[in-house]
Amino acid sequence: MTNATNDLSKMRRRPMISTAQWRGVLGVASVLFAWQVSVWVIDLPAYFYPAPRDVFAAFIDLTQKGILPEYVADSAVRYSVSVATGLGLGLAFGLLIGLSRFWSRLLGPIINFFYAIVEVAWIPLLVIWIGYGFNTIVIAIAYVVFFPVLYNTLTGVQTVQHVLINAMQTLGATRWQVLVTVIIPSALPNIITGFRVGAGFAFRGLIFAEMIAAGSGIGFLIFDGATTRQTDRVVVGMIMMGVMWLLIDRLLLRPVEQATIVRWGLVRNQGGN
Amino acid sequence: MNNAIQMPPKPRINPALVTGLLPFIVVLAAWAMAPLISDIPAYKLPSPAKVWGTFQDMLLNGSLLSEVWASLQRLATGYILGNLIAIPVGLAIALNRAVAETLTPVLSFFQSIAGIAWVPLAIIWFGVGGGSVLFVIVNTIFFSSIYSTVIGVQSIPLVLYRAAQSHGASRWDVITTVVVPGALVQILVGLRTSMAYGWRALVAAEMIAGTNGIGYMTLEAVQWYQTEIVVLGMILIGVLWLTLDRLLFVPIERVTVRRWGLVS
Repeated sequence: MTNATNDLSKMRRRPMISTAQWRGVLGVASVLFAWQVSVWVIDLPAYFYPAPRDVFAAFIDLTQKGILPEYVADSAVRYSVSVATGLGLGLAFGLLIGLSRFWSRLLGPIINFFYAIVEVAWIPLLVIWIGYGFNTIVIAIAYVVFFPVLYNTLTGVQTVQHVLINAMQTLGATRWQVLVTVIIPSALPNIITGFRVGAGFAFRGLIFAEMIAAGSGIGFLIFDGATTRQTDRVVVGMIMMGVMWLLIDRLLLRPVEQATIVRWGLVRNQGGN
Repeated sequence: MNNAIQMPPKPRINPALVTGLLPFIVVLAAWAMAPLISDIPAYKLPSPAKVWGTFQDMLLNGSLLSEVWASLQRLATGYILGNLIAIPVGLAIALNRAVAETLTPVLSFFQSIAGIAWVPLAIIWFGVGGGSVLFVIVNTIFFSSIYSTVIGVQSIPLVLYRAAQSHGASRWDVITTVVVPGALVQILVGLRTSMAYGWRALVAAEMIAGTNGIGYMTLEAVQWYQTEIVVLGMILIGVLWLTLDRLLFVPIERVTVRRWGLVS
C-alpha cells in the first residue's frame, strides 16, 4: 500500500469506527431483546429456558455470596500459571528443535504424535494419576499451549533471514548473541501468533478441565449449575466465560501483539492483502 | 484469527527415521519397565502388553469399532451440517457492511464460548446422549466457521471491489470473482480450525454427555479404574486425529497453495 491510499483509507475509516461500535452494541442489544421476547412467547419452565432477568438475578446473587469472584479468581490463577508454563516450555523446545537438526530429528516425530493426543484425552488419565484439582488442570492446560507455541517458534526460527545471521557472525558475534539479537527477535511475531492460538485453545480446555476435575472455577459453575438444575447459574457461567475471554483478548493478547508489531516494525499480512 | 494455526512442520524423512523412532522406543521401554523398578500399582499404569491385549479383545468383539464409528459418524454429521449452514450465512452476512458490523461482536462472543461450555445446557435441553453431543459439535463448528468466513470477507482490500466495480462488474460478478475467491483462503483455514475445535468438542462432549463413542469409553473407564482402556482411548484419539488431519487437510492445503499461489 502506498502512503496516499493509506491516508485515504484512514480518513474514510475514522468516522466508520464509531458507527461500527454502535452497530455492535445494537447487535448485542437485539440478541438480548430477542432472548427476552422468546421467553415471553414460548412459555417454558425457568430451569429449561431461563430469562435474562433470572440470569441477572443469579449473577447478583452469586456475586453477593462471593462465589462468583472466588471462581473467577480460581480460573484466572489456573489459566495464568498454565499458560505461562506452556509458553516457556514451548519456546524452549521450539528453539531447541529449530536450531539443531539432531534434536529436530530426535524429537520431531514424538512431538507430532503427542500433539495429536489432545489435552481432553489426557484428563481422564491425569485424574487417575494425580486426582482432581490444580495440578491436573495446570498440566493439561500447559500441554495445550505448548504445541502451538512450539510449532510457531519453529517456523519463526526456520524463516530467519540467513544474511542477518551471517552478518552477525562476520562481526564476531557469539552463538548466544546471535540467538538473542537476531533469532529470537525475528521469530517473535511467530511466537506471539503461537501464543495467541494456544491461549485460545487453552481457555476452552480450562473450562472443560474444571468441569471434570475441579470443585471451583467457571467451568465448575457451568457444570454444577446443570446438575443441580440451576440453569440461570449455567448461563451466568457461560456469559462470564465469554467476558473473561474478551478481557484476556483485549488486555493481554492484543496489546502484546501490537507491542511486538510496533516494536519490531513488522506488519503481518492478514488474509487477502 | 490468525493464519498460522498449528500446522505441524513438513516432515523431514528418511535419514532421520531411525533417530525419530528412538524416543518412541525409550517411552515404550520406560513404560514397560516402570512397574518392575518402582512400585506404581497396576491400576495406575497398565503394562503395554495389557493395553495391547485389551485392544485385541475389543477389536475382536467389535466394541471398539462401534465406539469409533459412533464418534466419527457424529463428527462427520456435525461438521457437514455446521459448515453447510455457516459458510453461506457467513458470506451473506459479510456482503453487507452494516449487517456484518452489527453481528461481529455477537458472533465473536458466541465463538468464544462455543463448544464445551454448551454441554451442560445441552444436557438440560436434550438429555444425556447423542443428541446433546451432536448439538455441541454443530454449535462449535458453526460459530468457528462463520466467524472465519466473515473475517475472511472483511479482510479483502476495498481496492479490489472498486477495481471490479469500475470495470462494470455486476453485484453477482463481484461475489463470484472478488468475495468468494478473496475469502477462500480464510474459509479453508476456518475449515481446518473448526475441525480442530470440533474434534476436541466431540471427545469432551462424549465424556460428559455421551452414552457411547471414544470419549465416553475413555472417561467411563476411569470410574472402574480400567486404566488400560483409558490409555487405549488416548492412543486411539491421537491416531484418529493424525489420520483425519492427513487425509482431509494436507491435500486441501496443497491444492489451495498451488491454485492461489498463497503460502500462509
